This record gives sequence, structure tokens and C-alpha cells, in this order.
Amino acid sequence: MESEEFALVRELLRSFTARHRIGSADEAGPAARSAAQQALDGLGLAELRRTAKPVATVQECALLAEEHGRHPLTTSFLGRTLLAPEAVRLLGEAGREIDGTPALALAPDLGFPRPDAAALVAWDCEGADSALCVDTEGTVRRAELGPPAPTADLLRTVRGARPGPVVGRLTAPALRHWQAYALVIVTSELVGAARELVALSVGYARERRQYGRPIGSFQAVRHLLADATVLVEACTSATRYAAWCLDHEPPGRALTAARVAKAEAGSSAVEAVYTGMQVFGGIAQTWEHVAHLYLRRVLVGATALAPPGELLPTLAEPEGATR
Amino acid sequence: MTEDPLDFGDPADLERLRTAFRAWLAEHPLPERLPDEPLPVFLHRWHRLLHSGGWVGLDVPEVYGGRGLTSLHQVAVSDELGARGAPGVPRVGYLAHALLEFASEDQRRRLLPRMLAGDDVWCQGFSEPGAGSDLAGMSTYAARHDDGHYTVRGQKLWTSYAQYSDRCLLLARTDRTARPHASVTAFALPLDRPGVTVRPLRAANGDDEFCELFLDDVRLEESERIGAEGDGWALAMTTVSYERNALDTGHLSKYGLLVERLRRTAHERRGELPDGLLSEIGRCVVDYEVLLAHARRRIAERLAGQPAGPESSVDKLLMTRAEQRLYATALKVFPQEVHGPGGDVFAQYLYSRAASVYGGTSQIQRNIIAQRVLRLTDGADR
Repeated sequence: MESEEFALVRELLRSFTARHRIGSADEAGPAARSAAQQALDGLGLAELRRTAKPVATVQECALLAEEHGRHPLTTSFLGRTLLAPEAVRLLGEAGREIDGTPALALAPDLGFPRPDAAALVAWDCEGADSALCVDTEGTVRRAELGPPAPTADLLRTVRGARPGPVVGRLTAPALRHWQAYALVIVTSELVGAARELVALSVGYARERRQYGRPIGSFQAVRHLLADATVLVEACTSATRYAAWCLDHEPPGRALTAARVAKAEAGSSAVEAVYTGMQVFGGIAQTWEHVAHLYLRRVLVGATALAPPGELLPTLAEPEGATR
Repeated sequence: MTEDPLDFGDPADLERLRTAFRAWLAEHPLPERLPDEPLPVFLHRWHRLLHSGGWVGLDVPEVYGGRGLTSLHQVAVSDELGARGAPGVPRVGYLAHALLEFASEDQRRRLLPRMLAGDDVWCQGFSEPGAGSDLAGMSTYAARHDDGHYTVRGQKLWTSYAQYSDRCLLLARTDRTARPHASVTAFALPLDRPGVTVRPLRAANGDDEFCELFLDDVRLEESERIGAEGDGWALAMTTVSYERNALDTGHLSKYGLLVERLRRTAHERRGELPDGLLSEIGRCVVDYEVLLAHARRRIAERLAGQPAGPESSVDKLLMTRAEQRLYATALKVFPQEVHGPGGDVFAQYLYSRAASVYGGTSQIQRNIIAQRVLRLTDGADR
């Protein structure tokens, strides 16, 4: 989209996040969740990727996912706004019969589901009444929602799900595109979360005084924050580049770039959040503080779709080899 | 800048440049290094050959002997060379940028074409025995005389390949009373000037890249001063900012070749590798690809008008991370490099240990990030 148009969309999202971000875990009750989700749905952002020729580029969507990830929000921006609509779009004609904004169904360990998976979870499904499941062979099914399935990520709504009827199939390149896209969007949220918690801890290091001076004047603290900054920038570069690849490069190249980004963020975003918590000290160990919401989010997000332990051996395969 | 969409792509004319360069390479095979030929002498022949085809200083304006293109074009040439295992482009980019920014018009016209052509080989005289991390604490002093000329006295250290160089971009103090950052001045010193003594040091990997440079009452003319008195610190920061960018120094293609070699070896020896080594190789792939993406982002930012700044310390730390992990992993994949006399990989491994020291130590980079990127209130480590 035009840069002015994108700036407007981002402003829209920013005023939403400012209004609905929560200040502590206790504010994540069902009524607040539902109100926030209705407000988000009202923005109409699920249309960004749903049409045959998408309104927004992947890089733009990745930037929006990063923006949403910066704040403690309970809303399903990934699952229902950015991810499932892309699956619908990739289905083409077969996607036309899908109504509403379904969530995305994943394997119970949040991996890409295998074709024979009997049990699924509808991940990031706040406000959804159905889900879509794209398995590792490219078959797309509807999934029926089951009971709530609590997760360590307190901001995320997850429900059990059962695979239903087949809706359509993705071609091999479309499946690679889908997997790369999903990895990039999930990784973008991790980048946003890590960037924000590090920024908050930098702000805290300026204000908090010990031994009569701001703790940010101590070299031990400064070096921690410098290292966390390097990690955040590394994730950022890798993720933005992978998003750009989805807009401009063949799906195979984009999938490699997306796996790289996910592997980087899978360790670096978590490490950066650890550093942020360390700088906050004791206060970040309390239930009231937002730090643990960020930790929970990046910890679970790091394992979602593809954990680093799975990605690294895959990436060690020579270029052009299998997978 | 980081929050707007960036164009990571190549300009449309880049593929044409690559094609032209490939065609040129096909007609100009890499010269053979002669037995006993010192590496810098061989690299100098290579530099001249590349320049004869117009492949040096692509991002320098034409009036100064370059091609008036962008750093992305220079990087493409570097890529093509790396992909063939050829020596990289001559490392003149960061010095050329310092002259472009600080030298007078007359100096630029005089010095830059000769630098790019390899008619003058340049080295860098920044560090001193007593001024390493604390570069501003240098004691080499240039005393100004009434007629405008200077007499320089002092000692420089780590001037790479000074024994093969014609000129040195020299930093010296020109004011003993002003605060350090405001009293450093840059000069273009001809190394054949009376009073200059060069003494090579032997490095841990056996190379004689690093030199000591002794300056005993060396006369420098006013016309050899680069910029005004006191501009030296800003010039040094510009130079190291460009030097820290992994792409500017052509490291990336070298990493890329080794990463691919590790992947192929792992593939061939599948099942024989120690537990976890495959993941470590995968981690090196990630480091390399992240660096590639990061360098592309920096170039995109630069093309969008953002100059090199303190963020380059992030780049340097990322480059160091990639390089040190890559060579440490390579030693695990090729254990004969350790349990034997040690080959090329071992020599490069030793050199990789210097990555966290040269161009400003990793600790100095962290100080710069804390101070100038995060704007944390001042500590004792400025």
C-alpha cells in the first residue's frame, strides 16, 4: 500500500493498542478480552491479506504484527487477523465458501500439524467460532473448536480443536509460502515483544538509582543492555528481510529466510527478555509487573511452529538438498 | 527508519553490473600468487588488475576516480569475487569515505584517484602503545610552526601492512591543552618521509600484517592536513563506522564459502558427526544469514539517506559473533586442523579471535551502544 495509507493503518492499530493494552495479568479477564477483540475486529484489518491481490505486503503485515507484539494485548491479531485470512487467500476459489474470521488450528505442541493429527489446538482464537487447519502436506480442513486449553502465555486464547472436512489443497509453492508467512508473522510478534521489553528496561535503567546514581550508568548494566540491543537488531533484520523475501523472492528462498528469522528470534528474543527482566530486578519478579507477560509470550512463541532445536539441523542441510 | 518498510532488493541495474563483471572475470583470470610472494604484494597486483577494469571504488564519484554508483554495487562486486573464492576487493572503501567527507577538494582530486588505482597504497595510523581502546588518549603530537608546517613525534601501532604502504592516514594531537576529542587532527603522511621508521610485528597466526610506526620529528606540510585542526576525532569515527560494516570489508562472502563447506561436509559425513554438531553448523548458517540480512538492511537504510553512525557498533558485534562461532565450529568439523600442524582454517580461526579486538574491542562497542544508541546517562566509561 502507499506509505501514507500504511501510516494511517498503523496509527489505527496504535490507538487501538494504547486503549486496550493491559497493565497487569489481573486485567486479562474474559470481559476485557472480549471487548478488546470486538474493537480489533471492528478495525477490519482481517481484509489486509484476504483478497486475491492482497491489500498489504507481507512486510507491512510483519510490521503491524511487531507493533501488536510490543504491548500486553489479549487480542487475536495473529491468528484471526493476519494468519487465517492468508490461508483463505491461498485457497483461491475454495476459500470463497469460508465465512467469518476463523482462527488457526495447530498441533498441540504448536507445530505445523501433520495430516494424521487427531487432536489439534485452535491457537490465538479469541472471539473465533471456527478454525482452519493447514497440514504439512498442504491439505486445508475446517476444525471444530473444543474447550479452553490454557497455556503458559496468559495473553493468548487457546482452545482444543478437532479436524473436520477438507476445504481445499495448497500447491507445493503455496504451502512453502504459507509456512514462510506463518513463521514470519509469529516471529514479528516476538521481535516486537523483545524490542519493547528491552526499551522499557532501558527507560528503567535511566530512572532507577542505586549507590546514588542511575543504574544505567554502571558498566555491568550498560553492557547487558547493549548486548540485548544487538540481539533485538539481529532478530529485526532477519525478520524484516524474510518478510521482504515473501513479497519479492521465490517461496523456497523465503522459507529459508523465515526459518533463519525464527531460529534467531527463538533464542535471541528470549535472551533479550531475560536481560530486560534482570535490569528491572526484583520488581519484574512480581505478578503485577508486565515482565512475566512478555516472558511467557516469547517463551511459548519461540517454540511455536518450529522450535530452534528443529530448525537448526534443517538449516544445516546444504542449499538445494532435501526439504 | 526501522519502523517503515524497507527495500531489501537490488537496484535494477545491478544484475547488468554483475553480468559485466562476470564477463570481465572470464577474460581476466585471477593472477597466480608467486612462490615467496608476500600476500600484500600479490593483493596489490590484484588491486591494479581490478582497477584496470573499473572495479574499484564503484561508490566513489567519477571526478575522484570512481564510478559514481552506490555501495550496493561495490558489494555486488565483492559478492561475485567471494563466490569464486577470489581475494576480495581492495580494502580502500573506508579510507576513501574518510577523505570524501573530510579532505579538501584539491586533496580529494589529488589523493583519491591514486588510492583507488593502487598507485598509492594506504595504511591507517590510529592506535598507539598507550592508546588502544582509549584512542583519544593518544600522545603522538604534531607541533605547528609559524609558516604552517608541522613536526610530528610519536609512535603508532597495529598499522596493517605499513611496510608495503606509501601513505598513512595519521592521527596526531595538535593541542596539548584542549580536551582529547577536540585536539586530534588527521594527516596524509607519505611513508618515505625522513624520520619515519616501520617495523613489522609477527602476529599469533605467523603473519606480519601488523606494524609499529615510529615518527621522529617528521615534517608535514599544512597541505597534508586532512580537514581542520580538531577534525581528527570525527574523521576517525567515520572511518571506523564504515570499517565496522561487515559488507564494506568484504568479510561476508568469505563466511559464505566456509558455511557452505561445513554444510556439505556434514551432509557427506552424516551419522559420523558428534552429537549436536549438526545444530552448531545450523547455528552458523543462521549467524551468516542474519548478517547478510542485517547488512542488506543497513545498505537499504543508507540508500534511503541515513548515514553510518553509532549503530555500526551493533554491526561489528554481530560480525564478531558470526566469525568467532563459525571458525570455532569449523575446527570441530575439521579436527585435523587442531591435531596437526594446522592449515588455513586454523590460521583463520586464530585471526577470528582478533575480531573482538580490532576496530574497537567488543567492550568498547558495548560502551558506544549504551552511550550513543541507548543514550544511557553517562558512566565512567565514555
